[in-house]
Amino acid sequence: MLKIFQRLWIVNWAEQWQYRANSLMYLLYWLVSPIVHVAVWTSIANANGSVNGLTANDFVNYYLLLLIVDQFTSNITIHIFAYKVQDGSLSGELVKPIHPMLTNTLITNIAFKTMMLIGFVPVWIFLAVIFKPDFASVTWQGVLLAVPAILLGFIVNFLLSGAVSSIAFWTTRVYSINEFYFALFVLFSGQFVPLQLMPKTIQAIAHYLPFQLQIYFPIQLIQNKLSPAEILQGFLIGFIWLGVVILLFKWVWREGVKRFSAVGA
Amino acid sequence: MSQETIIVENLSKTYQVPEREGGFGAAVKSFFKRTYTDVKAVQQVNFRITQGEVVGFLGPNGAGKTTTLKMLAGLLHPTGGTANVLGFTPWQLKTDYLRSMTLVMGQRNRLAWDIPAADSFLLAQAIYRLPDDEYKKTYKELDELLELEPLMKKPVRNLSLGERMKCEIAAGLLHRPKVLFLDEPTIGLDITGQARIREFLREYNKRTGATILLTSHYMADVTALCERIIIIHHGQLKYDGSITDLSRRIAPFKLIGVQLGYSNGHDLSRYGEPVQNEEDAEKHYIQVKAEDVTRVTSRMLSELPIHDITIADPPIEDVIERAFNE
Repeated sequence: MLKIFQRLWIVNWAEQWQYRANSLMYLLYWLVSPIVHVAVWTSIANANGSVNGLTANDFVNYYLLLLIVDQFTSNITIHIFAYKVQDGSLSGELVKPIHPMLTNTLITNIAFKTMMLIGFVPVWIFLAVIFKPDFASVTWQGVLLAVPAILLGFIVNFLLSGAVSSIAFWTTRVYSINEFYFALFVLFSGQFVPLQLMPKTIQAIAHYLPFQLQIYFPIQLIQNKLSPAEILQGFLIGFIWLGVVILLFKWVWREGVKRFSAVGA
Repeated sequence: MSQETIIVENLSKTYQVPEREGGFGAAVKSFFKRTYTDVKAVQQVNFRITQGEVVGFLGPNGAGKTTTLKMLAGLLHPTGGTANVLGFTPWQLKTDYLRSMTLVMGQRNRLAWDIPAADSFLLAQAIYRLPDDEYKKTYKELDELLELEPLMKKPVRNLSLGERMKCEIAAGLLHRPKVLFLDEPTIGLDITGQARIREFLREYNKRTGATILLTSHYMADVTALCERIIIIHHGQLKYDGSITDLSRRIAPFKLIGVQLGYSNGHDLSRYGEPVQNEEDAEKHYIQVKAEDVTRVTSRMLSELPIHDITIADPPIEDVIERAFNE
Protein backbone atom coordinates (compact mmCIF):
# COMPACT_ATOMS: atom_id res chain seq x y z
CA MET A 1 0.00 0.00 0.00
CA LEU A 2 2.89 2.31 0.84
CA LYS A 3 4.28 1.75 -2.64
CA ILE A 4 0.93 2.71 -4.17
CA PHE A 5 0.91 5.99 -2.27
CA GLN A 6 4.51 6.62 -3.15
CA ARG A 7 3.93 6.14 -6.89
CA LEU A 8 0.67 8.07 -6.76
CA TRP A 9 2.69 10.85 -5.23
CA ILE A 10 5.23 10.79 -8.07
CA VAL A 11 2.47 11.04 -10.67
CA ASN A 12 0.48 13.69 -8.82
CA TRP A 13 3.49 15.77 -7.94
CA ALA A 14 4.66 15.76 -11.55
CA GLU A 15 1.20 16.89 -12.60
CA GLN A 16 1.10 19.66 -10.01
CA TRP A 17 4.47 20.80 -11.22
CA GLN A 18 2.98 21.18 -14.69
CA TYR A 19 0.37 23.51 -13.26
CA ARG A 20 2.54 25.47 -10.86
CA ALA A 21 1.61 28.86 -12.33
CA ASN A 22 -2.04 27.95 -11.91
CA SER A 23 -1.44 26.99 -8.27
CA LEU A 24 0.31 30.28 -7.57
CA MET A 25 -2.64 32.21 -8.96
CA TYR A 26 -4.93 30.19 -6.73
CA LEU A 27 -2.69 30.94 -3.77
CA LEU A 28 -2.93 34.69 -4.37
CA TYR A 29 -6.70 34.46 -4.68
CA TRP A 30 -6.93 32.44 -1.47
CA LEU A 31 -4.75 34.97 0.42
CA VAL A 32 -6.83 38.02 -0.44
CA SER A 33 -9.72 37.58 1.97
CA PRO A 34 -7.71 36.94 5.17
CA ILE A 35 -5.38 39.85 4.38
CA VAL A 36 -8.30 42.20 3.85
CA HIS A 37 -9.79 40.98 7.12
CA VAL A 38 -6.60 41.63 9.06
CA ALA A 39 -6.37 45.13 7.62
CA VAL A 40 -10.01 45.99 8.36
CA TRP A 41 -10.22 44.52 11.85
CA THR A 42 -6.90 45.90 13.04
CA SER A 43 -7.85 49.40 12.02
CA ILE A 44 -11.22 49.10 13.79
CA ALA A 45 -9.54 47.66 16.90
CA ASN A 46 -6.88 50.38 16.83
CA ALA A 47 -9.54 53.08 16.63
CA ASN A 48 -11.67 51.62 19.43
CA GLY A 49 -8.96 50.07 21.60
CA SER A 50 -10.59 46.65 21.07
CA VAL A 51 -13.56 44.86 19.47
CA ASN A 52 -15.49 42.58 21.82
CA GLY A 53 -12.34 42.25 23.87
CA LEU A 54 -10.11 41.45 20.89
CA THR A 55 -7.15 43.79 20.39
CA ALA A 56 -5.50 44.63 17.09
CA ASN A 57 -2.78 42.13 17.90
CA ASP A 58 -5.39 39.42 18.55
CA PHE A 59 -6.72 39.90 15.03
CA VAL A 60 -3.27 39.82 13.42
CA ASN A 61 -2.51 36.72 15.42
CA TYR A 62 -5.77 35.05 14.47
CA TYR A 63 -5.54 35.61 10.73
CA LEU A 64 -1.85 34.74 10.44
CA LEU A 65 -2.49 31.48 12.30
CA LEU A 66 -5.59 30.93 10.19
CA LEU A 67 -3.46 31.05 7.05
CA ILE A 68 -1.27 28.26 8.40
CA VAL A 69 -4.07 26.09 9.78
CA ASP A 70 -6.23 26.46 6.68
CA GLN A 71 -3.25 25.59 4.50
CA PHE A 72 -3.08 22.21 6.22
CA THR A 73 -6.74 21.38 6.85
CA SER A 74 -8.40 22.55 3.63
CA ASN A 75 -8.98 20.29 0.65
CA ILE A 76 -9.93 20.69 -2.99
CA THR A 77 -11.72 17.37 -3.33
CA ILE A 78 -14.87 18.85 -4.82
CA HIS A 79 -12.88 20.53 -7.57
CA ILE A 80 -10.86 17.43 -8.32
CA PHE A 81 -13.51 14.81 -8.06
CA ALA A 82 -16.80 16.12 -9.39
CA TYR A 83 -15.59 16.69 -12.92
CA LYS A 84 -14.32 13.12 -13.09
CA VAL A 85 -17.87 11.96 -12.53
CA GLN A 86 -19.21 14.56 -14.92
CA ASP A 87 -16.98 13.68 -17.88
CA GLY A 88 -16.83 9.96 -17.11
CA SER A 89 -13.08 9.78 -16.58
CA LEU A 90 -13.78 8.19 -13.21
CA SER A 91 -14.56 5.00 -15.16
CA GLY A 92 -10.86 4.42 -15.68
CA GLU A 93 -10.25 4.67 -11.94
CA LEU A 94 -13.20 2.58 -10.82
CA VAL A 95 -11.97 -0.48 -12.70
CA LYS A 96 -8.65 -0.39 -10.86
CA PRO A 97 -8.35 -2.33 -7.62
CA ILE A 98 -7.86 0.75 -5.42
CA HIS A 99 -10.35 3.22 -3.95
CA PRO A 100 -10.32 6.30 -6.21
CA MET A 101 -11.17 8.77 -3.45
CA LEU A 102 -9.09 7.39 -0.59
CA THR A 103 -5.97 6.95 -2.70
CA ASN A 104 -5.71 9.10 -5.80
CA THR A 105 -7.88 12.05 -4.74
CA LEU A 106 -6.23 12.10 -1.33
CA ILE A 107 -2.76 12.23 -2.84
CA THR A 108 -3.81 14.88 -5.36
CA ASN A 109 -4.89 17.00 -2.38
CA ILE A 110 -1.57 16.51 -0.63
CA ALA A 111 0.44 17.24 -3.78
CA PHE A 112 -1.58 20.40 -4.31
CA LYS A 113 -0.96 21.51 -0.71
CA THR A 114 2.76 20.87 -1.02
CA MET A 115 2.90 22.93 -4.19
CA MET A 116 0.99 25.74 -2.46
CA LEU A 117 3.32 25.58 0.51
CA ILE A 118 6.29 26.54 -1.68
CA GLY A 119 4.62 29.85 -2.51
CA PHE A 120 2.99 30.20 0.85
CA VAL A 121 6.05 30.25 3.12
CA PRO A 122 7.69 33.42 1.72
CA VAL A 123 4.33 35.18 1.51
CA TRP A 124 3.59 34.36 5.14
CA ILE A 125 6.97 35.64 6.30
CA PHE A 126 6.38 38.82 4.32
CA LEU A 127 2.98 39.30 5.99
CA ALA A 128 4.49 38.64 9.43
CA VAL A 129 7.10 41.34 8.77
CA ILE A 130 4.43 43.82 7.73
CA PHE A 131 1.87 43.17 10.49
CA LYS A 132 4.40 42.38 13.26
CA PRO A 133 2.25 39.99 15.31
CA ASP A 134 3.07 39.37 18.97
CA PHE A 135 2.82 35.61 19.44
CA ALA A 136 3.34 35.82 23.23
CA SER A 137 0.30 33.62 23.96
CA VAL A 138 1.54 30.79 21.69
CA THR A 139 3.24 27.97 23.60
CA TRP A 140 4.83 24.68 22.60
CA GLN A 141 2.11 22.71 24.36
CA GLY A 142 -0.50 24.58 22.33
CA VAL A 143 1.27 23.89 19.06
CA LEU A 144 1.76 20.22 19.93
CA LEU A 145 -1.93 19.85 20.76
CA ALA A 146 -2.85 21.57 17.53
CA VAL A 147 -1.02 18.97 15.41
CA PRO A 148 -3.50 16.12 16.06
CA ALA A 149 -6.35 18.64 15.92
CA ILE A 150 -5.22 19.80 12.47
CA LEU A 151 -4.94 16.21 11.29
CA LEU A 152 -8.40 15.46 12.65
CA GLY A 153 -9.75 18.61 11.01
CA PHE A 154 -8.27 17.59 7.69
CA ILE A 155 -9.59 14.03 7.76
CA VAL A 156 -13.10 14.99 8.86
CA ASN A 157 -13.41 17.70 6.25
CA PHE A 158 -11.80 15.60 3.53
CA LEU A 159 -14.34 12.83 4.06
CA LEU A 160 -17.18 15.32 4.32
CA SER A 161 -16.11 16.95 1.05
CA GLY A 162 -15.77 13.46 -0.38
CA ALA A 163 -19.38 12.73 0.54
CA VAL A 164 -20.54 16.07 -0.87
CA SER A 165 -18.64 15.49 -4.14
CA SER A 166 -20.12 12.02 -4.37
CA ILE A 167 -23.53 13.66 -4.75
CA ALA A 168 -22.29 14.10 -8.33
CA PHE A 169 -23.18 10.43 -8.81
CA TRP A 170 -26.82 11.46 -8.57
CA THR A 171 -26.88 14.97 -9.95
CA THR A 172 -23.77 14.97 -12.20
CA ARG A 173 -23.19 18.61 -11.29
CA VAL A 174 -22.38 19.55 -7.72
CA TYR A 175 -21.24 23.14 -8.01
CA SER A 176 -24.36 24.68 -6.48
CA ILE A 177 -24.30 22.13 -3.67
CA ASN A 178 -20.68 23.04 -3.19
CA GLU A 179 -21.58 26.74 -2.93
CA PHE A 180 -24.03 25.88 -0.18
CA TYR A 181 -21.48 23.72 1.60
CA PHE A 182 -18.93 26.50 1.35
CA ALA A 183 -21.41 29.04 2.76
CA LEU A 184 -21.94 26.82 5.81
CA PHE A 185 -18.20 26.45 6.12
CA VAL A 186 -17.54 30.19 5.99
CA LEU A 187 -20.24 30.89 8.57
CA PHE A 188 -19.40 28.17 11.08
CA SER A 189 -15.66 27.55 10.74
CA GLY A 190 -14.23 30.90 11.78
CA GLN A 191 -12.93 31.49 8.27
CA PHE A 192 -14.31 35.02 7.98
CA VAL A 193 -14.20 36.28 11.55
CA PRO A 194 -13.20 34.70 14.84
CA LEU A 195 -16.28 32.87 16.10
CA GLN A 196 -16.41 34.85 19.34
CA LEU A 197 -17.57 37.86 17.29
CA MET A 198 -20.59 35.91 16.06
CA PRO A 199 -23.99 36.06 17.77
CA LYS A 200 -24.21 33.66 20.74
CA THR A 201 -26.63 31.32 18.97
CA ILE A 202 -24.37 30.91 15.97
CA GLN A 203 -21.40 30.29 18.25
CA ALA A 204 -23.34 27.60 20.07
CA ILE A 205 -24.33 25.89 16.83
CA ALA A 206 -20.82 26.20 15.38
CA HIS A 207 -19.38 24.53 18.44
CA TYR A 208 -21.12 21.26 17.61
CA LEU A 209 -20.58 21.33 13.83
CA PRO A 210 -17.57 19.82 12.05
CA PHE A 211 -16.53 23.03 10.27
CA GLN A 212 -14.81 24.65 13.26
CA LEU A 213 -12.51 21.61 13.47
CA GLN A 214 -10.87 22.87 10.32
CA ILE A 215 -10.14 26.44 11.50
CA TYR A 216 -11.33 27.70 14.83
CA PHE A 217 -10.53 24.80 17.14
CA PRO A 218 -6.86 24.40 16.07
CA ILE A 219 -6.31 28.17 16.27
CA GLN A 220 -7.74 28.28 19.77
CA LEU A 221 -5.41 25.46 20.75
CA ILE A 222 -2.35 27.22 19.35
CA GLN A 223 -3.34 30.43 21.13
CA ASN A 224 -3.83 28.62 24.45
CA LYS A 225 -7.36 29.94 24.83
CA LEU A 226 -8.98 26.71 26.04
CA SER A 227 -9.22 25.08 29.47
CA PRO A 228 -8.30 21.36 29.72
CA ALA A 229 -12.02 20.51 29.89
CA GLU A 230 -12.71 22.53 26.74
CA ILE A 231 -9.79 20.86 24.96
CA LEU A 232 -11.12 17.43 25.87
CA GLN A 233 -14.60 18.36 24.72
CA GLY A 234 -13.22 19.74 21.46
CA PHE A 235 -11.40 16.51 20.64
CA LEU A 236 -14.42 14.46 21.70
CA ILE A 237 -16.64 16.38 19.29
CA GLY A 238 -13.97 15.88 16.63
CA PHE A 239 -13.83 12.12 17.10
CA ILE A 240 -17.62 11.81 17.10
CA TRP A 241 -17.68 13.68 13.79
CA LEU A 242 -14.93 11.44 12.49
CA GLY A 243 -17.13 8.41 13.16
CA VAL A 244 -20.14 10.09 11.59
CA VAL A 245 -18.35 11.18 8.41
CA ILE A 246 -16.72 7.76 7.94
CA LEU A 247 -20.16 6.12 7.98
CA LEU A 248 -21.67 8.88 5.85
CA PHE A 249 -18.91 8.70 3.27
CA LYS A 250 -19.03 4.91 3.06
CA TRP A 251 -22.76 4.94 2.51
CA VAL A 252 -22.85 7.77 -0.03
CA TRP A 253 -19.97 6.20 -1.94
CA ARG A 254 -21.51 2.75 -2.09
CA GLU A 255 -24.90 3.99 -3.21
CA GLY A 256 -23.34 6.53 -5.57
CA VAL A 257 -21.17 4.05 -7.43
CA LYS A 258 -24.28 1.90 -7.97
CA ARG A 259 -25.89 4.83 -9.68
CA PHE A 260 -22.89 5.89 -11.65
CA SER A 261 -23.90 5.71 -15.25
CA ALA A 262 -20.37 6.10 -16.58
CA VAL A 263 -21.24 9.25 -18.49
CA GLY A 264 -19.76 9.89 -21.87
CA ALA A 265 -17.09 7.25 -22.31
CA MET B 1 -11.50 -28.96 -20.61
CA SER B 2 -12.26 -25.43 -21.60
CA GLN B 3 -14.07 -23.36 -19.09
CA GLU B 4 -16.78 -20.79 -19.47
CA THR B 5 -15.30 -17.43 -18.52
CA ILE B 6 -18.26 -15.20 -19.22
CA ILE B 7 -21.85 -16.18 -18.64
CA VAL B 8 -24.53 -13.62 -19.43
CA GLU B 9 -28.18 -14.35 -18.75
CA ASN B 10 -31.08 -12.09 -19.66
CA LEU B 11 -28.90 -9.06 -19.10
CA SER B 12 -30.87 -5.83 -19.48
CA LYS B 13 -30.24 -2.17 -18.93
CA THR B 14 -32.85 0.54 -19.15
CA TYR B 15 -31.78 4.13 -18.80
CA GLN B 16 -34.16 6.77 -17.55
CA VAL B 17 -33.55 9.86 -19.55
CA PRO B 18 -35.10 13.16 -18.47
CA GLU B 19 -37.08 14.72 -21.25
CA ARG B 20 -38.81 18.01 -21.85
CA GLU B 21 -40.05 20.17 -24.67
CA GLY B 22 -38.14 23.31 -25.53
CA GLY B 23 -39.27 26.73 -24.33
CA PHE B 24 -39.69 28.58 -21.06
CA GLY B 25 -43.04 27.11 -20.04
CA ALA B 26 -41.76 23.60 -20.41
CA ALA B 27 -38.63 24.48 -18.46
CA VAL B 28 -40.70 25.73 -15.52
CA LYS B 29 -42.96 22.71 -15.68
CA SER B 30 -40.04 20.30 -15.74
CA PHE B 31 -38.61 21.99 -12.69
CA PHE B 32 -41.57 20.78 -10.66
CA LYS B 33 -42.33 17.56 -12.38
CA ARG B 34 -39.71 15.82 -14.43
CA THR B 35 -40.80 13.39 -17.05
CA TYR B 36 -38.59 10.52 -18.00
CA THR B 37 -38.51 8.24 -20.96
CA ASP B 38 -37.16 4.76 -20.70
CA VAL B 39 -34.39 3.96 -23.10
CA LYS B 40 -33.90 0.23 -23.39
CA ALA B 41 -30.19 0.07 -24.10
CA VAL B 42 -29.81 -3.65 -23.62
CA GLN B 43 -32.67 -6.14 -23.59
CA GLN B 44 -32.53 -9.72 -22.41
CA VAL B 45 -29.14 -10.54 -23.83
CA ASN B 46 -27.76 -14.06 -23.40
CA PHE B 47 -24.38 -15.49 -24.32
CA ARG B 48 -21.53 -17.58 -22.99
CA ILE B 49 -17.87 -17.19 -23.78
CA THR B 50 -15.25 -19.87 -23.24
CA GLN B 51 -11.77 -19.24 -21.93
CA GLY B 52 -9.37 -18.18 -24.66
CA GLU B 53 -12.03 -17.12 -27.14
CA VAL B 54 -11.76 -13.85 -29.03
CA VAL B 55 -15.25 -12.56 -29.59
CA GLY B 56 -16.22 -9.53 -31.62
CA PHE B 57 -19.09 -7.46 -30.43
CA LEU B 58 -20.49 -5.73 -33.42
CA GLY B 59 -23.22 -3.20 -33.91
CA PRO B 60 -23.95 0.35 -35.00
CA ASN B 61 -23.53 3.31 -32.64
CA GLY B 62 -26.05 3.23 -29.85
CA ALA B 63 -26.76 -0.47 -30.29
CA GLY B 64 -25.87 -1.33 -26.71
CA LYS B 65 -22.37 -2.70 -27.20
CA THR B 66 -20.63 -0.34 -24.85
CA THR B 67 -23.40 -0.59 -22.27
CA THR B 68 -23.03 -4.38 -22.23
CA LEU B 69 -19.27 -4.10 -22.00
CA LYS B 70 -19.52 -1.64 -19.11
CA MET B 71 -21.83 -3.97 -17.22
CA LEU B 72 -19.40 -6.83 -17.71
CA ALA B 73 -16.54 -4.65 -16.51
CA GLY B 74 -18.59 -3.69 -13.45
CA LEU B 75 -19.08 -0.02 -14.21
CA LEU B 76 -22.81 -0.24 -14.65
CA HIS B 77 -25.47 -1.99 -12.65
CA PRO B 78 -27.93 -3.78 -14.89
CA THR B 79 -31.67 -3.31 -14.47
CA GLY B 80 -32.23 -7.00 -15.01
CA GLY B 81 -30.55 -10.34 -15.53
CA THR B 82 -27.22 -11.66 -14.34
CA ALA B 83 -23.64 -11.83 -15.46
CA ASN B 84 -20.80 -13.94 -14.20
CA VAL B 85 -17.22 -13.32 -15.21
CA LEU B 86 -14.47 -15.56 -13.82
CA GLY B 87 -16.89 -16.52 -11.06
CA PHE B 88 -17.54 -12.91 -10.00
CA THR B 89 -20.53 -10.65 -10.33
CA PRO B 90 -18.77 -7.76 -12.04
CA TRP B 91 -20.66 -4.79 -10.55
CA GLN B 92 -19.74 -5.80 -7.03
CA LEU B 93 -16.31 -4.48 -8.02
CA LYS B 94 -14.47 -7.02 -5.90
CA THR B 95 -10.74 -6.33 -5.73
CA ASP B 96 -9.89 -9.85 -6.90
CA TYR B 97 -12.10 -9.36 -9.92
CA LEU B 98 -10.58 -5.98 -10.80
CA ARG B 99 -7.13 -7.52 -10.59
CA SER B 100 -7.91 -10.22 -13.13
CA MET B 101 -9.62 -8.22 -15.85
CA THR B 102 -9.00 -5.08 -17.81
CA LEU B 103 -11.18 -2.56 -19.55
CA VAL B 104 -9.69 -0.41 -22.27
CA MET B 105 -11.99 2.30 -23.49
CA GLY B 106 -10.86 4.41 -26.42
CA GLN B 107 -8.82 7.28 -25.10
CA ARG B 108 -10.01 7.00 -21.59
CA ASN B 109 -7.23 6.90 -19.75
CA ARG B 110 -5.07 4.83 -17.60
CA LEU B 111 -2.34 7.28 -18.41
CA ALA B 112 -1.87 10.64 -16.74
CA TRP B 113 -2.01 13.24 -19.46
CA ASP B 114 0.80 15.61 -18.57
CA ILE B 115 3.58 13.22 -17.65
CA PRO B 116 5.50 10.45 -19.38
CA ALA B 117 3.74 7.10 -19.68
CA ALA B 118 6.62 5.46 -17.79
CA ASP B 119 5.35 6.98 -14.53
CA SER B 120 1.83 5.71 -15.11
CA PHE B 121 3.24 2.26 -15.84
CA LEU B 122 5.11 2.23 -12.53
CA LEU B 123 1.94 3.33 -10.77
CA ALA B 124 0.10 0.41 -12.37
CA GLN B 125 2.84 -1.91 -11.13
CA ALA B 126 2.19 -0.73 -7.57
CA ILE B 127 -1.61 -0.80 -7.87
CA TYR B 128 -1.63 -4.37 -9.16
CA ARG B 129 1.13 -5.38 -6.75
CA LEU B 130 3.39 -6.81 -9.40
CA PRO B 131 6.80 -8.00 -8.24
CA ASP B 132 9.68 -6.29 -10.09
CA ASP B 133 10.81 -9.32 -12.08
CA GLU B 134 7.28 -10.18 -13.19
CA TYR B 135 6.61 -6.57 -14.16
CA LYS B 136 9.83 -6.34 -16.15
CA LYS B 137 9.07 -9.57 -17.96
CA THR B 138 5.58 -8.45 -18.96
CA TYR B 139 6.84 -5.03 -19.97
CA LYS B 140 9.52 -6.61 -22.16
CA GLU B 141 6.93 -8.74 -23.90
CA LEU B 142 4.63 -5.79 -24.49
CA ASP B 143 7.56 -3.72 -25.72
CA GLU B 144 8.47 -6.44 -28.20
CA LEU B 145 4.98 -6.50 -29.62
CA LEU B 146 4.16 -2.81 -29.51
CA GLU B 147 7.54 -1.04 -29.58
CA LEU B 148 6.80 1.03 -26.52
CA GLU B 149 10.28 2.05 -25.45
CA PRO B 150 10.64 5.17 -27.61
CA LEU B 151 7.26 6.44 -26.35
CA MET B 152 7.81 5.94 -22.65
CA LYS B 153 9.65 9.14 -21.81
CA LYS B 154 7.49 11.67 -23.62
CA PRO B 155 4.56 13.34 -21.88
CA VAL B 156 1.44 11.47 -22.93
CA ARG B 157 -0.13 14.57 -24.42
CA ASN B 158 2.74 14.81 -26.91
CA LEU B 159 2.07 11.34 -28.29
CA SER B 160 0.09 10.80 -31.46
CA LEU B 161 -3.29 9.13 -31.22
CA GLY B 162 -1.89 5.80 -32.37
CA GLU B 163 1.05 5.96 -30.00
CA ARG B 164 -1.23 6.84 -27.12
CA MET B 165 -3.54 3.95 -27.90
CA LYS B 166 -0.59 1.54 -27.87
CA CYS B 167 0.42 2.84 -24.45
CA GLU B 168 -3.17 2.72 -23.17
CA ILE B 169 -3.55 -0.90 -24.20
CA ALA B 170 -0.16 -1.86 -22.78
CA ALA B 171 -0.97 -0.10 -19.48
CA GLY B 172 -4.15 -2.12 -19.30
CA LEU B 173 -2.29 -5.39 -19.78
CA LEU B 174 0.63 -5.06 -17.36
CA HIS B 175 -1.16 -7.16 -14.77
CA ARG B 176 -1.77 -9.96 -17.28
CA PRO B 177 -5.54 -9.95 -17.03
CA LYS B 178 -7.39 -13.14 -17.81
CA VAL B 179 -10.26 -11.25 -19.41
CA LEU B 180 -9.93 -8.24 -21.70
CA PHE B 181 -12.80 -5.90 -22.49
CA LEU B 182 -11.80 -3.63 -25.30
CA ASP B 183 -14.10 -0.85 -26.42
CA GLU B 184 -13.21 0.29 -29.91
CA PRO B 185 -9.49 -0.42 -29.55
CA THR B 186 -8.68 0.85 -33.03
CA ILE B 187 -10.91 3.91 -33.20
CA GLY B 188 -9.29 6.90 -34.84
CA LEU B 189 -6.23 4.98 -35.97
CA ASP B 190 -4.97 4.83 -39.53
CA ILE B 191 -4.90 1.54 -41.42
CA THR B 192 -1.38 0.59 -40.33
CA GLY B 193 -2.14 1.48 -36.73
CA GLN B 194 -5.29 -0.62 -36.79
CA ALA B 195 -3.42 -3.56 -38.26
CA ARG B 196 -0.72 -3.37 -35.59
CA ILE B 197 -3.19 -3.39 -32.74
CA ARG B 198 -5.03 -6.33 -34.28
CA GLU B 199 -1.80 -8.22 -34.82
CA PHE B 200 -0.84 -7.54 -31.23
CA LEU B 201 -4.15 -8.72 -29.79
CA ARG B 202 -4.01 -11.92 -31.80
CA GLU B 203 -0.49 -12.61 -30.55
CA TYR B 204 -1.39 -11.73 -26.97
CA ASN B 205 -4.34 -14.10 -27.04
CA LYS B 206 -2.15 -16.89 -28.42
CA ARG B 207 0.55 -16.36 -25.81
CA THR B 208 -1.59 -15.96 -22.72
CA GLY B 209 -4.82 -17.72 -23.50
CA ALA B 210 -6.75 -14.69 -22.31
CA THR B 211 -10.40 -14.25 -23.18
CA ILE B 212 -11.03 -11.18 -25.29
CA LEU B 213 -14.31 -9.42 -25.92
CA LEU B 214 -13.99 -6.41 -28.14
CA THR B 215 -16.47 -3.99 -29.61
CA SER B 216 -15.96 -2.29 -32.87
CA HIS B 217 -17.83 -0.78 -35.64
CA TYR B 218 -15.09 -1.57 -38.08
CA MET B 219 -15.97 -4.81 -39.78
CA ALA B 220 -12.26 -5.31 -40.52
CA ASP B 221 -11.33 -5.43 -36.84
CA VAL B 222 -13.68 -8.21 -36.26
CA THR B 223 -12.99 -10.25 -39.36
CA ALA B 224 -9.27 -10.10 -38.69
CA LEU B 225 -9.43 -11.16 -35.08
CA CYS B 226 -12.51 -13.05 -34.16
CA GLU B 227 -13.88 -16.35 -35.23
CA ARG B 228 -17.01 -15.67 -33.34
CA ILE B 229 -19.20 -12.64 -33.65
CA ILE B 230 -22.04 -11.33 -31.58
CA ILE B 231 -24.19 -8.72 -33.24
CA ILE B 232 -26.32 -6.46 -31.18
CA HIS B 233 -28.79 -3.98 -32.58
CA HIS B 234 -31.35 -1.83 -30.78
CA GLY B 235 -30.24 -3.51 -27.58
CA GLN B 236 -31.11 -6.98 -28.78
CA LEU B 237 -28.91 -9.88 -29.69
CA LYS B 238 -29.30 -10.42 -33.40
CA TYR B 239 -26.64 -12.92 -34.18
CA ASP B 240 -24.19 -15.11 -32.32
CA GLY B 241 -22.07 -17.41 -34.38
CA SER B 242 -19.12 -17.84 -36.67
CA ILE B 243 -18.00 -15.17 -39.03
CA THR B 244 -18.22 -17.48 -42.04
CA ASP B 245 -21.90 -18.11 -41.44
CA LEU B 246 -22.43 -14.41 -41.11
CA SER B 247 -20.78 -13.50 -44.37
CA ARG B 248 -22.98 -16.03 -46.09
CA ARG B 249 -25.96 -14.20 -44.64
CA ILE B 250 -24.81 -10.76 -45.51
CA ALA B 251 -24.67 -10.34 -49.22
CA PRO B 252 -21.37 -8.63 -49.85
CA PHE B 253 -21.86 -5.16 -51.26
CA LYS B 254 -19.52 -2.31 -52.07
CA LEU B 255 -20.16 1.38 -52.29
CA ILE B 256 -18.90 3.22 -55.33
CA GLY B 257 -18.71 6.99 -54.99
CA VAL B 258 -18.09 9.24 -57.96
CA GLN B 259 -17.54 12.94 -58.42
CA LEU B 260 -18.66 14.00 -61.83
CA GLY B 261 -17.02 16.64 -63.96
CA TYR B 262 -20.14 18.55 -64.94
CA SER B 263 -23.92 18.68 -64.54
CA ASN B 264 -25.73 16.12 -62.48
CA GLY B 265 -27.91 14.94 -65.29
CA HIS B 266 -26.44 11.46 -65.31
CA ASP B 267 -28.61 8.58 -64.38
CA LEU B 268 -26.47 6.39 -62.18
CA SER B 269 -29.19 3.88 -61.51
CA ARG B 270 -28.23 1.95 -64.59
CA TYR B 271 -24.95 1.03 -62.87
CA GLY B 272 -26.28 0.12 -59.46
CA GLU B 273 -28.67 1.11 -56.67
CA PRO B 274 -28.21 4.83 -55.84
CA VAL B 275 -27.82 5.53 -52.12
CA GLN B 276 -27.71 8.68 -49.99
CA ASN B 277 -24.55 9.65 -48.22
CA GLU B 278 -24.90 12.67 -45.97
CA GLU B 279 -21.27 12.85 -44.99
CA ASP B 280 -20.13 13.51 -48.51
CA ALA B 281 -22.59 15.54 -50.53
CA GLU B 282 -20.05 16.17 -53.30
CA LYS B 283 -20.25 12.62 -54.48
CA HIS B 284 -22.93 10.37 -55.86
CA TYR B 285 -23.03 6.89 -54.45
CA ILE B 286 -24.25 3.62 -55.77
CA GLN B 287 -24.28 0.22 -54.21
CA VAL B 288 -23.25 -2.83 -56.21
CA LYS B 289 -22.53 -6.47 -55.49
CA ALA B 290 -18.89 -7.06 -54.60
CA GLU B 291 -18.34 -9.43 -57.50
CA ASP B 292 -19.54 -6.78 -59.96
CA VAL B 293 -17.30 -3.98 -58.73
CA THR B 294 -14.56 -4.31 -61.34
CA ARG B 295 -16.98 -4.58 -64.23
CA VAL B 296 -19.14 -1.66 -63.09
CA THR B 297 -16.26 0.71 -62.34
CA SER B 298 -14.58 0.17 -65.67
CA ARG B 299 -17.90 0.79 -67.42
CA MET B 300 -18.42 3.96 -65.42
CA LEU B 301 -14.90 5.20 -66.06
CA SER B 302 -15.30 4.82 -69.78
CA GLU B 303 -18.81 6.25 -69.99
CA LEU B 304 -18.85 9.11 -67.45
CA PRO B 305 -16.78 12.30 -66.96
CA ILE B 306 -15.38 11.13 -63.64
CA HIS B 307 -13.10 13.38 -61.55
CA ASP B 308 -12.78 11.15 -58.56
CA ILE B 309 -13.88 7.66 -57.69
CA THR B 310 -13.85 5.70 -54.44
CA ILE B 311 -14.78 2.15 -53.59
CA ALA B 312 -15.57 1.31 -49.99
CA ASP B 313 -17.40 -1.07 -47.73
CA PRO B 314 -20.86 0.10 -46.80
CA PRO B 315 -21.18 1.31 -43.19
CA ILE B 316 -21.78 -1.47 -40.73
CA GLU B 317 -25.14 0.10 -39.83
CA ASP B 318 -26.41 -0.49 -43.34
CA VAL B 319 -25.05 -4.00 -43.46
CA ILE B 320 -26.80 -4.95 -40.26
CA GLU B 321 -30.02 -3.19 -41.20
CA ARG B 322 -29.97 -5.10 -44.45
CA ALA B 323 -29.19 -8.46 -42.89
CA PHE B 324 -31.61 -8.38 -40.00
CA ASN B 325 -34.40 -5.98 -40.74
CA GLU B 326 -35.57 -7.35 -44.02
